Amino acid sequence: MFITDLRKQFYNLITGKRILLLVHFDVDGICASKILQSLFRTDHILYTVVPIQTRTDLINAFQQHAEQVKHIVLINCGGCIDLVDLLQPSDDLVFFVADNHRPLDICNIYNAEQIRIMTKLGDEEEVPAFDDVFREDESEEESDEEGGKRPRFDEEALEKRRERRHWEQQRHKIIFDYTQFSYYGSSTATLMFDLAWKLSKDSNELLWWAIVGETEQLISEQTEPDKYLLVTATLQNHVSRLNHKAQDEQPLDCLRITFEKELQLALYRHWSLVESMRHSLYSATTLRLWTLKGEKRLHELLAEMGLPLAQCKQKYCGMDVSLRNELQSLLESKAEKYGLNNILFASFSISQGFRSKFSALDYVYATSALLENTDKEKTATDAFLDVTDSLTISKLTVLEKGIENSKQQLEAIYRQVQTFLDMNQVISAGPFLYATVIEGTPDARFFAAPHCLSLLARFTLKAHVAVSRSKKSRSLPLIITTPDVRSSESNICLVCGIPPTSEESPRNFFGKAFEQAADKTGSKAELEFFDTNIIRLSVDDRSKFFDALISLLS
Amino acid sequence: MLGEKALELIKELDRSKDGQLPTFNEDSIRMVLEEMTTLFEQNQRDVNATVAGDVRFFSGVHLRHAALERNKRCLLAYLYNRLERIKAMRWEFGSILPAEIRANICEPEVQWFSRYNKNLAAYMRSLGEGTGLDLTQDTKPPKNLYVEVRCLKDYGEFEIEEGDIVVLQKNTTHYLPMSHCQHLIRQGILEHVE
Amino acid sequence: MSDTEEDVIEGSDDEGEAMTASEVLKKLEEAWITERMSPTLECHQSELVDCMLDQINQMTENLKRCKKHDFRLAIHKMEIDRIRYVISSYLRVRLEKIERFSHYLLEKEANMTDETMAALSPHEVAYAKDYAANLESHFQTLVLQHVPENLRTFDSAKMSIKPNLDSYIFFKVKQETPGVLIEDDTGEGRDEELDLQEGSQHLMRYKPISHLLHSGAVTLI
Repeated sequence: MFITDLRKQFYNLITGKRILLLVHFDVDGICASKILQSLFRTDHILYTVVPIQTRTDLINAFQQHAEQVKHIVLINCGGCIDLVDLLQPSDDLVFFVADNHRPLDICNIYNAEQIRIMTKLGDEEEVPAFDDVFREDESEEESDEEGGKRPRFDEEALEKRRERRHWEQQRHKIIFDYTQFSYYGSSTATLMFDLAWKLSKDSNELLWWAIVGETEQLISEQTEPDKYLLVTATLQNHVSRLNHKAQDEQPLDCLRITFEKELQLALYRHWSLVESMRHSLYSATTLRLWTLKGEKRLHELLAEMGLPLAQCKQKYCGMDVSLRNELQSLLESKAEKYGLNNILFASFSISQGFRSKFSALDYVYATSALLENTDKEKTATDAFLDVTDSLTISKLTVLEKGIENSKQQLEAIYRQVQTFLDMNQVISAGPFLYATVIEGTPDARFFAAPHCLSLLARFTLKAHVAVSRSKKSRSLPLIITTPDVRSSESNICLVCGIPPTSEESPRNFFGKAFEQAADKTGSKAELEFFDTNIIRLSVDDRSKFFDALISLLS
Repeated sequence: MLGEKALELIKELDRSKDGQLPTFNEDSIRMVLEEMTTLFEQNQRDVNATVAGDVRFFSGVHLRHAALERNKRCLLAYLYNRLERIKAMRWEFGSILPAEIRANICEPEVQWFSRYNKNLAAYMRSLGEGTGLDLTQDTKPPKNLYVEVRCLKDYGEFEIEEGDIVVLQKNTTHYLPMSHCQHLIRQGILEHVE
Repeated sequence: MSDTEEDVIEGSDDEGEAMTASEVLKKLEEAWITERMSPTLECHQSELVDCMLDQINQMTENLKRCKKHDFRLAIHKMEIDRIRYVISSYLRVRLEKIERFSHYLLEKEANMTDETMAALSPHEVAYAKDYAANLESHFQTLVLQHVPENLRTFDSAKMSIKPNLDSYIFFKVKQETPGVLIEDDTGEGRDEELDLQEGSQHLMRYKPISHLLHSGAVTLI
């Protein structure tokens, strides 16, 4: 069941109850959970937060903790799975689901008793009508048939059966159409902030988390740019509402959020300009920086902007203040010539007291890197808590560590993309392209994690399209595989599929395709992630799995 | 040197950081006690001589006696300060000492500790006309009724108010009544998230 | 304060207590501050403690009957926590002193003539006795029985820790007290007489004003 009035249908119901919060491993989810947690704290609502990475985690956490609670809030997980079927909850348990994954499971949508889905459905989202997918006589008829009481050649029954077969075919088609593509709904963090605002409990810190959540969706291409613009407009209203005081009216050490144009460059405030441009997906693929020519073009661009190379190679904070102030306008003026039209985008930044400014982009890069820390001593849940910490504005040290991690991650991605291109390892299989990170690559430890892997995939595809001569590559999706060096089992690889660059909306058909291919071939595949376009697969089954995919998609 | 061992004993304890407890140094204590016996025997001899009329040994006797007194004082101070530390741990960790501390204390200290525990428990029970009050709780002025805590170790089920049970698993975050989780925070099972 | 507390006061009135709960609490808080500041153990206030503990137990009971998640519930619980903290902290400070000065206090107790001046409550006496005995027996087992005969006793007069009654304290005058004799501690006969005015604050040695503390004319700050 969908609920739209979160205050009445969610918050007021759970006030005073004990809550189990199951939070998916993603920045948007963690932001959403932080907002909820702070709401709960103001109302003395007891809660338990458990990080969830995979389906198995969800089941385990449910079994461990659900006995004690009656209200479970699922953040960015569980919406696309039939929860009642998976978890077999007792009748008095209620799930509140805030999941940005789509499509939502139909059984969840039509379960009015136990499942409350908190979301604003987008205009273009259509859910199959109840009558098209559920029939009341379903079970009755089956039992009748088994009982065999009715004469088999009854005209009426035949008619009924024919009609039923037709209905079933129809149903199958409808469900297939509905579940064919996986995509993402709007950010859960902004949804939760909306709730906070309606409860008059919003603050700059909560707003910042909503911004980070939203920005993450943009960066990981889970949302379309124009949709992002719409949300930013709303967020901007909140920003001006909460930061309306003039600078001199406020104490200097307070938290300020500003809405501004921002360069689409990764971490440039904490890196050098050249490094940042090289490792940012947008600038690197547009200028083709991994080629000699590209390198030259970058130098040309910098020269035309009037930036001395020495300045660009040193840390941004060491650049001349005058250059730093002009950087945005300089880049903007040259953007068109170099095809960097979208280098500026609307974003937010945060500053507190005399500390340096952080943009929402910095936060997203740093937190995503922290979440997939390569430190062997840290477990996944440790990383989850690190992210939780780093989002707390007063705990800057964790964030700074994340920034360093993120640089390493981006460098590894860049190196890998260069290898793919230099060695011509992006291969067309007909209906899709594929690339494989070779076993034993030292950087593989970075890629054996969902977010980083999909970033690598997007980087690779964009880079490939940028250099490829054939026009066709623009309309081909990409599958990337990498050895899962993080798992204890050997011979397992991660497979990640992303839609073609020509596709405007981030709709991804690989989730369904992987499922079918795995079914058909009987491969040892684990469809465990909530992002269904990423799966774990036994290396031995890889070729047969790919063959099945090819025949499925061509 | 007279009293050197005793001084070393004191220094050893003094050098170890607060909240730690070095192993009970039985050897040093025995050596001090031996020194004392020797001193005492020498004194005994000289006193006899003094009594017999020889006054030459008189100041020697005094010196040795002072050394004896000093050694005794040092030994008792050593014992006393160790007990103080053990006592501090009772307040911090509760009636069961952590294993690394238990390994460093000697049998009489264990006995002292259990008697101390009993005495303290009896006193705390007697408070409020017999209703009792746990004085090891509420060590900090209360700021909030509830705190956000993070679980650092797998602990299992934990009962909070009125039979509600929370499952404490490593790296889960909880919001719990302050009064219930103070002990676990001090034991390092939970961590208070600021 | 709150209505819940009023309920409780009625209960305690049966016992003939003339004070209201908030007065008791105020007295207790004063005793707590004094105890924390004083170099030695002050007179026990076990009636106050017992009364207040009884209060919070009753309050807790009352709260159980309250509707869950009533807005007032949190405030009342907070209040209970605060009172409990004051009581615990007060008793902890006392216990610390009792442990440190156990021999001294027991000796004083034995020579005590005026019941109302008793520093230790009966339970505290029991505790101090057991503590002192425990300590002595520990010393016996480990050291004293092994040393030469003439050193085997634990001479509490020589060995035990005594409070420093000459340490300086800040205090505030609650009742006008003229003519307080301040002896010269150097023994040179430069004694002074001082009129303590109500509301004034002083820094002075503990000893000359200790009797005023007991009578309630001054309070430590």
